[in-house]
Amino acid sequence: MSRILIVEDDERIRSSMRLALEEEGYTVDGVGSGEEAVDRFGAEPYELVLIDLMLPGMDGFEACRALRRHSTVPVIMVTARSDTHDVVAGLEAGADDYVTKPFVAKELAARIRALLRRSRHDDGGTDVLSFGDVEIEPEAGVVRRAGEEVHCTRTEFRLLCELANHPGKVLSREQLLERVWGYDYFGDGRLVDVHVRRLRTKVEPDPASPRFILTVRGMGYKLAV
Amino acid sequence: MAPGTPAGTGDDGPGTGTRAVRVRRTELSGRLGLRARVTLTFAIGAFGLSALMAGITYFTARQTFLNERQSAEQRQAFANAALVQNALRSPVTEVNQLIESVDTLPGSRSVLRTGGQWYATSISVGQSAIPADERALVLSGTPASQLFDLGGSPQLVIGVPLPAVHAAYFEVFSLDELAGTLRALAVALAAAAAVTTIAGAAVGRWAASRALRPLAGLTDAAVAIAGGRLDTRVDAGDDADLEELASAFNQMTANLQDRIEREARFTSDVSHELRSPLTTLTATVSVLESHRDQLAPRARSALDLLDGDLRRFTRMVDDLLEISRFDAGSAELSLDEVDPGELVRRAVAASAPVDAEGVRGAVGFPVEVGPGVDGLRLRVDKRRFERVMANLVENASLYAGGVTRVVVEREPAPTTVPAPATAIRVVVEDHGPGVPTAEREHLFERFYRGGRAGQREAGQGTGLGLSLVAEHVRLHGGRVWSEDAPGGGTRFVVELPLVPSGDDGAEGPLDIGVPA
Repeated sequence: MSRILIVEDDERIRSSMRLALEEEGYTVDGVGSGEEAVDRFGAEPYELVLIDLMLPGMDGFEACRALRRHSTVPVIMVTARSDTHDVVAGLEAGADDYVTKPFVAKELAARIRALLRRSRHDDGGTDVLSFGDVEIEPEAGVVRRAGEEVHCTRTEFRLLCELANHPGKVLSREQLLERVWGYDYFGDGRLVDVHVRRLRTKVEPDPASPRFILTVRGMGYKLAV
Repeated sequence: MAPGTPAGTGDDGPGTGTRAVRVRRTELSGRLGLRARVTLTFAIGAFGLSALMAGITYFTARQTFLNERQSAEQRQAFANAALVQNALRSPVTEVNQLIESVDTLPGSRSVLRTGGQWYATSISVGQSAIPADERALVLSGTPASQLFDLGGSPQLVIGVPLPAVHAAYFEVFSLDELAGTLRALAVALAAAAAVTTIAGAAVGRWAASRALRPLAGLTDAAVAIAGGRLDTRVDAGDDADLEELASAFNQMTANLQDRIEREARFTSDVSHELRSPLTTLTATVSVLESHRDQLAPRARSALDLLDGDLRRFTRMVDDLLEISRFDAGSAELSLDEVDPGELVRRAVAASAPVDAEGVRGAVGFPVEVGPGVDGLRLRVDKRRFERVMANLVENASLYAGGVTRVVVEREPAPTTVPAPATAIRVVVEDHGPGVPTAEREHLFERFYRGGRAGQREAGQGTGLGLSLVAEHVRLHGGRVWSEDAPGGGTRFVVELPLVPSGDDGAEGPLDIGVPA
């Protein structure tokens, strides 16, 4: 039974989300502010966190960054609108995925399942993958750069494995969305773009002019061989 | 294939006010444009002025020349007359020899009357050539000069009475040379006037263009504003005359922008605020749905109604938010480069209804990809295109018994002569009752239901679907229209340019040009 933490200041939404997610079989706790979320997360183990972006005091971005300092727990941002820079900013802050209000409980549950499945990195393969001075141990979920361990979120890790498993091959945004996030053709390509960007800051010597994770204009991304 | 009414081109609504203004403007300005009128005014001014100058010059010159000539000839004639008088005093003088011996200027002829006889140096110019009144005046003892015409050539006659010898001496001067000079002068002046007129017209045109140049800037700005770029402003530069107009224009635009933004923000805020209760409602209804089996039949029916309208309400809020973004001009394209056939197949598949278990059904119509489409790449905002297809499919199923087929075509159609493809057309056909021509142009208006208002299904749509289709397509630089399908029913045609004019999305493979 996975434990989920909901960070949402609207008490009614919090309650209804808890009801709906409990219906899907999760154990759900809710808090109303970013500060409470950080405290609660430090005190009890959660397997996934849902954070509303608009919170009084410490906002969703800040709360997400605070969690990210100590944890690679999967985070889903809850936003009221999908077109603004909120989505990109939320992803930059370290979120793995986002949902837009009002969301359908079944769809949210599906997103949660996809993230939790991934967080157990059960299908990363067993062989050690490497490029440049980067080494990936899929089974252990460990990435090392020049021997130093690099802390990746689970989604970043999955994305890196996906690219490293197909060196020299161009993977389209759709393919990456489907394999890493479980989205179909119409998934939001920004998820891939922002995660690639985040990944570059962790494994590239110079993220501004990447040498390994390359952009193929009009096609997608590939790992240079 | 004549396109019906492309949605969103121009806005010639029933604006009678606009029309009245247009009519009055036509009356006021006549047929000519401002530039033509200024040019014409300058040309007429230059012509009038130069013609006046030329006229004055000509007549002054003519008078001066004539006077000079006249006094020169007068001196000559009097000198000759004195000579003749002296000669006639001598009784032995042979008159014919005398008259021949008179020293005359070239082109002048002498006529002498003495002893009741006329003598002339020229056969053609005798006493009869001299005007009768001149003859009478001189013969009566008064010296006289007169201009007259002889066989089309201007002449000056000077008559000197010689009473001492009972004679009269006339000298007739031809003014042909002077006339030639004056003609040449006239031609030169006319040419100068013509050149001045043309130069005046050119200056007028230049001045008009120069004066209108800020107007061109204003026109560009107005076009930009009409095109939705409300942050457009005009710059008067350092022209004090224009500053007032420019600042009034900018003020107007700012007010307009402010007002539109306020309205759009209000719509946006409303839809936004509605999302919180909608989230609660959606989540709680889903809890009820999962306990559906424990509900009494009546409660179950109530739940179904609640669920159905909750979805519709959510859609409406989404659509309103989308519309408010278009109204505020804040809608952005997030472009991907895709295979058109696959895009349409995927979008159509995504438009199939979802059953209670969340499983998406199959669609009951084929997607045909026409010749020449494979291999083309379309830059498109997939999410928006998916909405376009979903709305068209929904529209067909609500009002026209469902889609019969979807065709993806290349535009222009591939023929034996290969022409580069410029656009992709996605045609959605239904076998409904068709749409009357008069209603077609209104189809893409918000909340337009037209003749379908009474239909049972009409309550299920949001009334915004087709207007959003038009907005999405327009954002791509494309167009959409409806026309009669060949086998009855209606076909909606979405045309997307292969090179869209819109902005790129934010980041991503399309925008970061790192060489592979």
